[in-house]
Amino acid sequence: MNKRSWVRIALLSPAAIVAPVYAADYLSIPQAQELLFPDAGTFKEHTVLLTASQKKQIKSISGMSQRWDQQRVWRVEKAGGFLGWFIVDEVIGKHEFITYAAALSADGKVIGVEILSYRETHGGEVRDAEWRGHFKGKSLSDPFKLEVDIPNISGATLSCRNITDGVKRLLALHQIILAHESGD
Amino acid sequence: MKLTKFLKWFALCLGVAVFASSAFADENLFGYVKGSETLPKGAWELYEVTTLRSGKGRGDYTAWNLEAEAEYGVTHRLSATGGLNFQSIDTKGLVIDGYLPGDKEYGPKLSGMEAALKYNFLAPAKDNIGLSGTLGLDYAWLDPHSGRKKDTASLETGLQLQKYFMEGQLIWVWNAATEGTYAVRGEIDDLPTDFEWTTNPEVELEFKLGTGLSYRFAPNWFIGAETLYETEFETEVGQERWSLFAGPSLHYGGSKWWATLTWFPQVAGGGEEYADQSISNLHLIEKTKQEVRLKVGFNF
Repeated sequence: MNKRSWVRIALLSPAAIVAPVYAADYLSIPQAQELLFPDAGTFKEHTVLLTASQKKQIKSISGMSQRWDQQRVWRVEKAGGFLGWFIVDEVIGKHEFITYAAALSADGKVIGVEILSYRETHGGEVRDAEWRGHFKGKSLSDPFKLEVDIPNISGATLSCRNITDGVKRLLALHQIILAHESGD
Repeated sequence: MKLTKFLKWFALCLGVAVFASSAFADENLFGYVKGSETLPKGAWELYEVTTLRSGKGRGDYTAWNLEAEAEYGVTHRLSATGGLNFQSIDTKGLVIDGYLPGDKEYGPKLSGMEAALKYNFLAPAKDNIGLSGTLGLDYAWLDPHSGRKKDTASLETGLQLQKYFMEGQLIWVWNAATEGTYAVRGEIDDLPTDFEWTTNPEVELEFKLGTGLSYRFAPNWFIGAETLYETEFETEVGQERWSLFAGPSLHYGGSKWWATLTWFPQVAGGGEEYADQSISNLHLIEKTKQEVRLKVGFNF
Protein backbone atom coordinates (compact mmCIF):
# COMPACT_ATOMS: atom_id res chain seq x y z
CA MET A 1 0.00 0.00 0.00
CA ASN A 2 1.50 3.32 -1.02
CA LYS A 3 1.27 6.82 0.44
CA ARG A 4 -1.69 7.76 -1.71
CA SER A 5 -3.62 4.78 -0.40
CA TRP A 6 -2.95 5.82 3.18
CA VAL A 7 -4.22 9.30 2.45
CA ARG A 8 -7.36 7.78 0.94
CA ILE A 9 -7.95 5.70 4.03
CA ALA A 10 -7.34 8.63 6.32
CA LEU A 11 -9.63 10.96 4.45
CA LEU A 12 -12.36 8.75 3.06
CA SER A 13 -13.18 6.43 5.90
CA PRO A 14 -14.26 9.22 8.25
CA ALA A 15 -16.29 10.83 5.50
CA ALA A 16 -18.04 7.55 4.85
CA ILE A 17 -19.35 7.08 8.36
CA VAL A 18 -19.84 10.65 9.45
CA ALA A 19 -23.36 11.42 10.48
CA PRO A 20 -24.61 14.75 9.18
CA VAL A 21 -24.47 17.60 11.63
CA TYR A 22 -27.90 19.00 12.32
CA ALA A 23 -29.16 22.05 14.06
CA ALA A 24 -31.45 21.15 16.93
CA ASP A 25 -33.91 24.02 17.16
CA TYR A 26 -36.47 22.95 19.70
CA LEU A 27 -38.58 26.03 20.23
CA SER A 28 -39.38 29.19 18.34
CA ILE A 29 -39.55 32.49 20.21
CA PRO A 30 -43.39 32.55 20.19
CA GLN A 31 -43.48 28.97 21.50
CA ALA A 32 -41.08 29.86 24.32
CA GLN A 33 -43.15 32.95 25.12
CA GLU A 34 -46.28 30.83 25.36
CA LEU A 35 -44.56 28.36 27.71
CA LEU A 36 -43.03 30.97 30.00
CA PHE A 37 -45.93 33.43 30.06
CA PRO A 38 -49.05 31.38 29.27
CA ASP A 39 -51.37 34.12 30.55
CA ALA A 40 -49.71 37.00 28.71
CA GLY A 41 -51.69 39.35 26.54
CA THR A 42 -48.93 41.18 24.70
CA PHE A 43 -45.21 40.89 24.15
CA LYS A 44 -43.71 44.27 23.30
CA GLU A 45 -40.27 43.81 21.80
CA HIS A 46 -37.53 46.33 22.04
CA THR A 47 -33.76 46.18 21.82
CA VAL A 48 -31.70 47.32 24.77
CA LEU A 49 -28.58 49.16 23.64
CA LEU A 50 -25.82 48.79 26.17
CA THR A 51 -23.09 51.32 26.82
CA ALA A 52 -19.57 50.29 27.79
CA SER A 53 -20.26 51.48 31.32
CA GLN A 54 -23.41 49.36 31.59
CA LYS A 55 -21.58 46.30 30.26
CA LYS A 56 -18.91 46.87 32.87
CA GLN A 57 -21.55 47.04 35.61
CA ILE A 58 -23.15 43.82 34.39
CA LYS A 59 -19.79 42.07 34.57
CA SER A 60 -19.16 43.50 38.01
CA ILE A 61 -22.50 42.22 39.32
CA SER A 62 -22.67 38.84 37.59
CA GLY A 63 -19.00 38.03 37.03
CA MET A 64 -19.84 37.41 33.38
CA SER A 65 -18.88 39.47 30.35
CA GLN A 66 -21.78 40.93 28.40
CA ARG A 67 -20.66 39.95 24.90
CA TRP A 68 -23.31 41.81 22.95
CA ASP A 69 -23.95 45.55 22.71
CA GLN A 70 -27.61 44.80 22.09
CA GLN A 71 -30.05 42.54 23.89
CA ARG A 72 -33.50 41.60 22.60
CA VAL A 73 -36.12 41.86 25.35
CA TRP A 74 -39.91 41.69 25.39
CA ARG A 75 -42.04 43.54 27.91
CA VAL A 76 -44.85 41.18 28.87
CA GLU A 77 -48.27 42.55 29.80
CA LYS A 78 -51.77 41.32 30.42
CA ALA A 79 -54.70 43.73 30.19
CA GLY A 80 -52.34 46.65 30.76
CA GLY A 81 -50.77 45.03 33.81
CA PHE A 82 -47.03 44.32 33.83
CA LEU A 83 -46.09 40.62 34.15
CA GLY A 84 -42.34 40.64 33.57
CA TRP A 85 -39.65 40.38 30.97
CA PHE A 86 -38.97 37.79 28.30
CA ILE A 87 -35.34 37.76 27.12
CA VAL A 88 -33.65 35.72 24.40
CA ASP A 89 -29.93 35.16 24.93
CA GLU A 90 -27.02 33.09 23.65
CA VAL A 91 -24.14 31.50 25.53
CA ILE A 92 -21.18 29.48 24.36
CA GLY A 93 -21.59 25.73 24.21
CA LYS A 94 -18.74 23.36 23.56
CA HIS A 95 -19.16 23.72 19.80
CA GLU A 96 -21.90 26.22 19.06
CA PHE A 97 -23.95 28.90 20.72
CA ILE A 98 -26.81 27.73 22.91
CA THR A 99 -29.93 29.85 22.44
CA TYR A 100 -32.25 30.09 25.42
CA ALA A 101 -34.99 32.31 26.79
CA ALA A 102 -35.46 33.51 30.33
CA ALA A 103 -38.56 34.94 31.94
CA LEU A 104 -37.91 37.45 34.72
CA SER A 105 -40.42 38.93 37.12
CA ALA A 106 -40.74 42.63 37.78
CA ASP A 107 -38.86 42.24 41.07
CA GLY A 108 -35.88 40.54 39.45
CA LYS A 109 -36.54 36.83 39.98
CA VAL A 110 -36.40 34.02 37.46
CA ILE A 111 -39.83 32.78 36.41
CA GLY A 112 -38.49 30.14 34.05
CA VAL A 113 -35.93 29.14 31.43
CA GLU A 114 -36.50 27.44 28.07
CA ILE A 115 -33.87 26.08 25.67
CA LEU A 116 -34.52 27.15 22.09
CA SER A 117 -31.47 25.60 20.35
CA TYR A 118 -28.98 23.06 21.65
CA ARG A 119 -26.54 21.39 19.28
CA GLU A 120 -23.95 19.72 21.52
CA THR A 121 -22.89 16.07 21.64
CA HIS A 122 -23.84 15.46 25.24
CA GLY A 123 -26.07 17.17 27.77
CA GLY A 124 -29.45 17.23 26.08
CA GLU A 125 -30.73 17.03 29.69
CA VAL A 126 -30.43 20.82 29.89
CA ARG A 127 -33.82 20.76 28.17
CA ASP A 128 -35.36 18.67 30.94
CA ALA A 129 -37.92 20.56 33.00
CA GLU A 130 -36.33 19.18 36.16
CA TRP A 131 -32.94 20.76 35.44
CA ARG A 132 -34.40 24.06 34.23
CA GLY A 133 -36.67 24.10 37.26
CA HIS A 134 -33.69 24.79 39.51
CA PHE A 135 -33.62 28.36 38.16
CA LYS A 136 -37.16 29.20 39.26
CA GLY A 137 -37.32 31.89 41.91
CA LYS A 138 -33.61 32.65 41.78
CA SER A 139 -32.38 36.21 42.17
CA LEU A 140 -28.99 37.88 42.20
CA SER A 141 -28.61 36.97 45.86
CA ASP A 142 -28.32 33.27 44.94
CA PRO A 143 -24.93 31.61 44.32
CA PHE A 144 -25.56 30.39 40.72
CA LYS A 145 -22.86 27.75 41.21
CA LEU A 146 -22.82 24.29 39.67
CA GLU A 147 -23.37 21.56 42.25
CA VAL A 148 -24.19 24.22 44.83
CA ASP A 149 -27.62 25.42 43.76
CA ILE A 150 -27.67 24.19 40.13
CA PRO A 151 -26.95 20.51 39.33
CA ASN A 152 -24.21 19.66 36.88
CA ILE A 153 -24.83 17.41 33.87
CA SER A 154 -21.83 15.20 33.11
CA GLY A 155 -20.53 15.59 29.59
CA ALA A 156 -22.11 19.04 29.34
CA THR A 157 -20.44 20.88 32.21
CA LEU A 158 -19.43 23.83 30.06
CA SER A 159 -22.98 24.19 28.73
CA CYS A 160 -24.44 23.98 32.25
CA ARG A 161 -21.99 26.54 33.58
CA ASN A 162 -22.52 28.97 30.74
CA ILE A 163 -26.33 28.75 30.88
CA THR A 164 -26.16 29.24 34.66
CA ASP A 165 -23.83 32.20 34.30
CA GLY A 166 -25.94 33.54 31.44
CA VAL A 167 -29.14 33.60 33.54
CA LYS A 168 -27.26 35.42 36.30
CA ARG A 169 -26.01 37.92 33.73
CA LEU A 170 -29.60 38.56 32.59
CA LEU A 171 -30.57 39.24 36.19
CA ALA A 172 -27.73 41.78 36.30
CA LEU A 173 -29.09 43.31 33.08
CA HIS A 174 -32.46 43.52 34.77
CA GLN A 175 -30.99 45.28 37.80
CA ILE A 176 -28.99 47.77 35.72
CA ILE A 177 -31.58 48.60 33.08
CA LEU A 178 -34.89 46.73 33.02
CA ALA A 179 -35.81 47.36 36.66
CA HIS A 180 -35.90 51.06 35.84
CA GLU A 181 -38.31 50.47 32.95
CA SER A 182 -40.79 48.26 34.77
CA GLY A 183 -43.16 51.07 35.53
CA ASP A 184 -43.16 52.55 32.04
CA MET B 1 -4.05 0.35 -5.50
CA LYS B 2 -6.82 -1.96 -6.58
CA LEU B 3 -10.32 -1.13 -5.45
CA THR B 4 -10.71 -4.49 -3.71
CA LYS B 5 -7.55 -3.92 -1.68
CA PHE B 6 -8.65 -0.45 -0.74
CA LEU B 7 -12.05 -1.73 0.32
CA LYS B 8 -10.37 -4.44 2.37
CA TRP B 9 -8.36 -1.85 4.27
CA PHE B 10 -11.31 0.47 4.56
CA ALA B 11 -13.36 -2.34 6.12
CA LEU B 12 -10.47 -3.23 8.39
CA CYS B 13 -10.16 0.33 9.63
CA LEU B 14 -13.85 0.55 10.28
CA GLY B 15 -13.88 -2.83 11.95
CA VAL B 16 -11.02 -1.90 14.21
CA ALA B 17 -12.63 1.38 15.08
CA VAL B 18 -15.91 -0.30 15.87
CA PHE B 19 -14.65 -3.27 17.86
CA ALA B 20 -11.51 -1.98 19.54
CA SER B 21 -12.27 -1.02 23.09
CA SER B 22 -9.96 1.99 24.00
CA ALA B 23 -6.92 5.25 25.16
CA PHE B 24 -6.58 8.88 26.38
CA ALA B 25 -9.58 10.17 24.52
CA ASP B 26 -12.33 12.69 24.49
CA GLU B 27 -12.80 15.34 21.85
CA ASN B 28 -9.22 16.24 20.93
CA LEU B 29 -8.62 19.91 20.20
CA PHE B 30 -4.96 19.10 19.60
CA GLY B 31 -3.01 16.48 17.75
CA TYR B 32 -0.49 15.65 20.46
CA VAL B 33 -1.36 17.25 23.79
CA LYS B 34 -4.45 16.11 25.63
CA GLY B 35 -7.28 17.76 27.52
CA SER B 36 -8.49 16.74 30.96
CA GLU B 37 -12.09 15.83 30.21
CA THR B 38 -13.56 12.35 30.15
CA LEU B 39 -16.67 10.94 28.53
CA PRO B 40 -19.91 10.79 30.49
CA LYS B 41 -20.97 7.38 31.78
CA GLY B 42 -22.15 5.05 29.03
CA ALA B 43 -20.93 7.25 26.14
CA TRP B 44 -18.71 5.92 23.35
CA GLU B 45 -16.24 7.66 21.08
CA LEU B 46 -14.36 6.04 18.23
CA TYR B 47 -11.13 7.50 16.89
CA GLU B 48 -8.95 7.20 13.88
CA VAL B 49 -5.52 8.80 14.22
CA THR B 50 -3.31 8.94 11.14
CA THR B 51 0.25 10.26 11.45
CA LEU B 52 2.77 10.90 8.70
CA ARG B 53 6.40 11.03 9.86
CA SER B 54 8.88 12.14 7.24
CA GLY B 55 12.45 13.35 6.70
CA LYS B 56 15.66 12.38 8.45
CA GLY B 57 18.02 14.71 6.61
CA ARG B 58 19.45 12.03 4.30
CA GLY B 59 17.93 9.47 1.98
CA ASP B 60 14.17 9.02 1.93
CA TYR B 61 12.17 8.24 5.04
CA THR B 62 8.39 8.16 5.19
CA ALA B 63 6.35 6.32 7.79
CA TRP B 64 2.58 6.21 8.33
CA ASN B 65 0.95 5.23 11.58
CA LEU B 66 -2.74 4.49 11.94
CA GLU B 67 -4.33 4.11 15.35
CA ALA B 68 -7.91 2.93 15.63
CA GLU B 69 -9.23 3.47 19.13
CA ALA B 70 -12.46 3.37 21.07
CA GLU B 71 -13.19 5.10 24.36
CA TYR B 72 -15.98 4.28 26.78
CA GLY B 73 -17.24 6.27 29.74
CA VAL B 74 -17.14 3.74 32.61
CA THR B 75 -18.31 6.37 35.06
CA HIS B 76 -18.71 10.13 34.71
CA ARG B 77 -15.07 10.45 35.78
CA LEU B 78 -13.40 7.31 34.44
CA SER B 79 -12.88 6.51 30.75
CA ALA B 80 -11.36 3.34 29.34
CA THR B 81 -9.68 3.24 25.94
CA GLY B 82 -8.32 0.47 23.78
CA GLY B 83 -7.00 0.33 20.27
CA LEU B 84 -5.00 -1.31 17.55
CA ASN B 85 -2.02 0.25 15.79
CA PHE B 86 -0.89 -0.15 12.20
CA GLN B 87 2.17 1.18 10.41
CA SER B 88 3.74 1.36 7.00
CA ILE B 89 7.29 2.38 6.23
CA ASP B 90 9.26 3.42 3.18
CA THR B 91 12.95 4.18 3.69
CA LYS B 92 15.69 4.22 1.08
CA GLY B 93 19.30 5.39 0.92
CA LEU B 94 19.69 5.81 4.67
CA VAL B 95 21.66 3.59 7.06
CA ILE B 96 22.05 4.59 10.70
CA ASP B 97 24.31 2.32 12.69
CA GLY B 98 22.43 0.70 15.53
CA TYR B 99 19.02 1.95 14.35
CA LEU B 100 18.28 1.71 10.61
CA PRO B 101 19.89 -1.32 8.96
CA GLY B 102 18.88 -0.29 5.44
CA ASP B 103 16.05 0.04 2.96
CA LYS B 104 12.65 -1.16 4.03
CA GLU B 105 9.23 -0.82 2.46
CA TYR B 106 5.89 -2.32 3.35
CA GLY B 107 2.27 -1.30 3.44
CA PRO B 108 0.08 -1.19 6.53
CA LYS B 109 0.81 -3.93 9.03
CA LEU B 110 -0.72 -4.49 12.42
CA SER B 111 2.08 -3.27 14.68
CA GLY B 112 0.71 -3.13 18.20
CA MET B 113 -2.13 -2.54 20.61
CA GLU B 114 -2.84 -0.25 23.50
CA ALA B 115 -5.15 0.22 26.45
CA ALA B 116 -5.53 3.14 28.83
CA LEU B 117 -7.54 4.54 31.68
CA LYS B 118 -8.23 8.22 32.28
CA TYR B 119 -9.60 9.57 35.55
CA ASN B 120 -10.91 13.09 35.91
CA PHE B 121 -10.20 14.67 39.30
CA LEU B 122 -11.37 18.22 38.52
CA ALA B 123 -13.66 19.47 35.74
CA PRO B 124 -12.45 22.63 33.99
CA ALA B 125 -15.90 24.19 33.66
CA LYS B 126 -16.90 23.44 37.24
CA ASP B 127 -13.72 23.63 39.30
CA ASN B 128 -12.02 26.49 37.41
CA ILE B 129 -9.20 24.19 36.36
CA GLY B 130 -9.45 20.64 35.07
CA LEU B 131 -7.13 17.84 36.17
CA SER B 132 -6.99 14.27 35.02
CA GLY B 133 -4.56 11.37 35.30
CA THR B 134 -3.90 8.68 32.72
CA LEU B 135 -2.42 5.21 32.86
CA GLY B 136 -1.62 3.53 29.55
CA LEU B 137 -0.20 0.20 28.49
CA ASP B 138 1.18 -0.26 25.00
CA TYR B 139 2.49 -3.42 23.37
CA ALA B 140 4.11 -3.41 19.91
CA TRP B 141 5.96 -5.96 17.80
CA LEU B 142 7.25 -3.68 15.04
CA ASP B 143 9.83 -0.94 15.57
CA PRO B 144 8.27 2.39 14.50
CA HIS B 145 11.68 3.71 13.39
CA SER B 146 13.31 0.91 11.39
CA GLY B 147 10.12 -1.02 10.69
CA ARG B 148 11.89 -4.21 11.84
CA LYS B 149 10.75 -6.73 14.43
CA LYS B 150 10.97 -5.42 17.96
CA ASP B 151 8.86 -6.46 20.94
CA THR B 152 8.12 -3.42 23.05
CA ALA B 153 6.06 -3.05 26.22
CA SER B 154 5.48 0.45 27.57
CA LEU B 155 3.72 1.80 30.62
CA GLU B 156 2.86 5.49 30.62
CA THR B 157 1.48 7.64 33.41
CA GLY B 158 0.41 11.20 32.75
CA LEU B 159 -1.28 14.29 34.14
CA GLN B 160 -3.41 16.70 32.14
CA LEU B 161 -4.40 20.21 33.17
CA GLN B 162 -7.05 22.20 31.31
CA LYS B 163 -8.26 25.74 31.82
CA TYR B 164 -11.15 27.56 30.14
CA PHE B 165 -10.94 31.26 29.41
CA MET B 166 -13.59 33.53 27.85
CA GLU B 167 -16.42 31.13 28.81
CA GLY B 168 -14.65 28.31 27.03
CA GLN B 169 -13.80 30.13 23.82
CA LEU B 170 -10.09 29.96 24.69
CA ILE B 171 -8.72 26.70 26.07
CA TRP B 172 -5.30 26.00 27.54
CA VAL B 173 -3.96 22.53 28.30
CA TRP B 174 -0.76 21.30 29.90
CA ASN B 175 0.55 17.72 29.99
CA ALA B 176 3.29 15.84 31.78
CA ALA B 177 3.97 12.15 31.29
CA THR B 178 6.50 9.46 32.07
CA GLU B 179 6.89 6.31 30.03
CA GLY B 180 8.92 3.25 30.88
CA THR B 181 9.73 0.87 28.03
CA TYR B 182 11.13 -2.65 27.88
CA ALA B 183 12.15 -3.72 24.37
CA VAL B 184 13.83 -6.64 22.62
CA ARG B 185 14.81 -6.48 18.96
CA GLY B 186 14.44 -9.39 16.59
CA GLU B 187 17.41 -10.95 14.79
CA ILE B 188 18.24 -9.72 11.25
CA ASP B 189 20.06 -12.05 8.88
CA ASP B 190 21.39 -9.65 6.25
CA LEU B 191 22.88 -6.85 8.34
CA PRO B 192 25.49 -4.58 6.72
CA THR B 193 29.11 -5.34 7.65
CA ASP B 194 30.10 -4.09 11.13
CA PHE B 195 26.52 -2.94 11.74
CA GLU B 196 25.61 -2.89 15.41
CA TRP B 197 22.17 -4.40 16.05
CA THR B 198 21.87 -5.47 19.64
CA THR B 199 19.20 -7.98 20.50
CA ASN B 200 19.74 -7.68 24.23
CA PRO B 201 16.78 -6.33 26.20
CA GLU B 202 16.71 -2.53 26.49
CA VAL B 203 15.07 -0.44 29.18
CA GLU B 204 14.28 3.20 28.50
CA LEU B 205 12.63 5.97 30.44
CA GLU B 206 10.96 8.85 28.64
CA PHE B 207 9.65 12.13 29.99
CA LYS B 208 7.20 14.34 28.12
CA LEU B 209 6.03 17.89 28.70
CA GLY B 210 3.50 19.55 26.45
CA THR B 211 1.19 22.52 26.27
CA GLY B 212 -1.34 23.95 23.85
CA LEU B 213 -3.71 26.86 23.37
CA SER B 214 -6.85 26.64 21.24
CA TYR B 215 -9.25 29.43 20.27
CA ARG B 216 -12.75 29.00 18.88
CA PHE B 217 -12.79 31.52 16.03
CA ALA B 218 -16.20 30.51 14.67
CA PRO B 219 -18.92 28.10 15.79
CA ASN B 220 -17.48 24.57 15.56
CA TRP B 221 -14.02 25.75 14.48
CA PHE B 222 -10.91 26.06 16.63
CA ILE B 223 -7.39 27.18 15.73
CA GLY B 224 -4.57 26.33 18.07
CA ALA B 225 -0.88 25.88 18.64
CA GLU B 226 0.83 23.15 20.60
CA THR B 227 4.29 22.05 21.57
CA LEU B 228 5.75 18.83 23.00
CA TYR B 229 9.13 18.25 24.61
CA GLU B 230 10.28 14.65 24.87
CA THR B 231 13.50 13.28 26.30
CA GLU B 232 14.62 9.68 26.70
CA PHE B 233 17.12 8.10 29.05
CA GLU B 234 18.72 4.72 28.61
CA THR B 235 20.77 2.67 31.10
CA GLU B 236 24.05 2.73 29.14
CA VAL B 237 24.11 6.21 27.63
CA GLY B 238 22.12 8.36 30.05
CA GLN B 239 20.18 11.00 28.11
CA GLU B 240 19.89 9.42 24.70
CA ARG B 241 17.86 12.06 22.95
CA TRP B 242 15.57 15.05 23.29
CA SER B 243 13.30 16.83 20.86
CA LEU B 244 10.96 19.78 20.77
CA PHE B 245 8.12 19.78 18.28
CA ALA B 246 5.72 22.71 17.82
CA GLY B 247 3.05 23.58 15.32
CA PRO B 248 -0.50 24.69 14.54
CA SER B 249 -3.70 22.69 14.87
CA LEU B 250 -7.06 23.17 13.19
CA HIS B 251 -10.05 21.52 14.83
CA TYR B 252 -13.66 21.04 13.78
CA GLY B 253 -16.14 19.83 16.36
CA GLY B 254 -19.78 18.96 15.73
CA SER B 255 -22.41 17.11 17.70
CA LYS B 256 -21.67 13.76 16.04
CA TRP B 257 -18.04 13.91 14.95
CA TRP B 258 -14.87 15.96 15.16
CA ALA B 259 -11.54 16.22 13.35
CA THR B 260 -8.16 17.73 14.14
CA LEU B 261 -5.30 18.38 11.73
CA THR B 262 -1.85 19.21 13.12
CA TRP B 263 1.40 20.09 11.40
CA PHE B 264 4.18 19.34 13.86
CA PRO B 265 7.73 20.14 12.73
CA GLN B 266 10.70 19.46 14.99
CA VAL B 267 12.06 22.86 15.96
CA ALA B 268 14.98 21.69 18.11
CA GLY B 269 16.55 18.46 19.20
CA GLY B 270 19.71 16.88 20.48
CA GLY B 271 21.40 13.85 21.94
CA GLU B 272 22.65 11.09 19.69
CA GLU B 273 23.32 11.91 16.04
CA TYR B 274 24.00 9.50 13.23
CA ALA B 275 27.46 9.45 11.63
CA ASP B 276 26.94 11.71 8.63
CA GLN B 277 24.00 13.73 9.92
CA SER B 278 23.96 17.06 8.11
CA ILE B 279 21.52 18.86 10.43
CA SER B 280 23.00 19.32 13.89
CA ASN B 281 20.17 20.97 15.83
CA LEU B 282 17.58 18.19 15.45
CA HIS B 283 17.30 14.65 16.72
CA LEU B 284 16.83 12.56 13.58
CA ILE B 285 17.53 9.01 14.70
CA GLU B 286 14.25 8.18 16.41
CA LYS B 287 12.43 11.32 15.29
CA THR B 288 11.82 12.91 11.91
CA LYS B 289 11.97 16.48 10.70
CA GLN B 290 8.22 16.76 10.77
CA GLU B 291 4.96 15.01 11.48
CA VAL B 292 1.45 15.62 10.20
CA ARG B 293 -1.45 14.14 12.14
CA LEU B 294 -5.14 13.83 11.32
CA LYS B 295 -7.50 12.71 14.05
CA VAL B 296 -11.15 11.95 13.48
CA GLY B 297 -13.56 11.05 16.27
CA PHE B 298 -17.18 9.89 16.26
CA ASN B 299 -19.56 10.23 19.18
CA PHE B 300 -22.17 7.67 20.17
